[in-house]
Amino acid sequence: MRTNVVRPAVSHHAAPKRSVAPVFWLLFGAGGMLSALFGPALIILTGFVLPNGWGLPASLADFSHVLGFVRHPIGKLVVLAVIALFFWHGAERLFLTLKDMRAGALPVLRLMTYGVAAVLTLLTIALLLAIGF
Amino acid sequence: MSERRPFHRPQPRRWWAHKPYLAYTLRELSGVAVALYGAILLAGLICLWRGPAAYAIYLRMLRSDASLVVHLVLLAGMLWHVLTWFQILPKTMPKLIVRGRQVPPRKVTAIALLVAVVCSAALLVVAVAIGVRS
Repeated sequence: MRTNVVRPAVSHHAAPKRSVAPVFWLLFGAGGMLSALFGPALIILTGFVLPNGWGLPASLADFSHVLGFVRHPIGKLVVLAVIALFFWHGAERLFLTLKDMRAGALPVLRLMTYGVAAVLTLLTIALLLAIGF
Repeated sequence: MSERRPFHRPQPRRWWAHKPYLAYTLRELSGVAVALYGAILLAGLICLWRGPAAYAIYLRMLRSDASLVVHLVLLAGMLWHVLTWFQILPKTMPKLIVRGRQVPPRKVTAIALLVAVVCSAALLVVAVAIGVRS
């Protein structure tokens, strides 16, 4: 009688092929949660209250005040998290929607969404470093 | 004539603009509003890096009527995102079981929305507190 030896489909030496989708999904989720919790207040602050000085001293939006915030390590982290994660959130949603609409070839759509988000994230990091501490 | 001819259900080209799918399309497009707001902040960061003159122009643009309209539209998109995000939440997270009973999805959405309102309100209160102190 022959015994069948069950072999794993993938040998132990070759790593199984992994998808990068969870990484994008994580960035999408983080951006979605951050914007869902603080987005409305952020838009009210930076779009209405700060530039017009409504309910706050107008000097808070001054160059020196904002520069001080962005030079602080925690300020830098906040700015990077908000800008980059908001881009990655929008990129994931736009990519999946355009894919469902069959708007174009997938590599083109990826470049238009994830590609743009990646470039703008690097730009944000570069600007934060250029502005200094 | 043995060639395979599978049935393709006809689908209108602009299916995403029609009723059962329109809600999905609008929900996904709220993500674009979130990203556009990020772009406005990034523009501010670029102006800040370029110096006081560029930053003054950025502030002047933020005070314009056009900016007010854009921010109102983005705020509407953001609020739609908040609402739909927490409507999906019970479907994306593991079942929440308290004392042997599943918390109903509507309740999860309601609690999460309440947390979101508290978070946004707290951020505004902190900003006002900083403004009063300075």
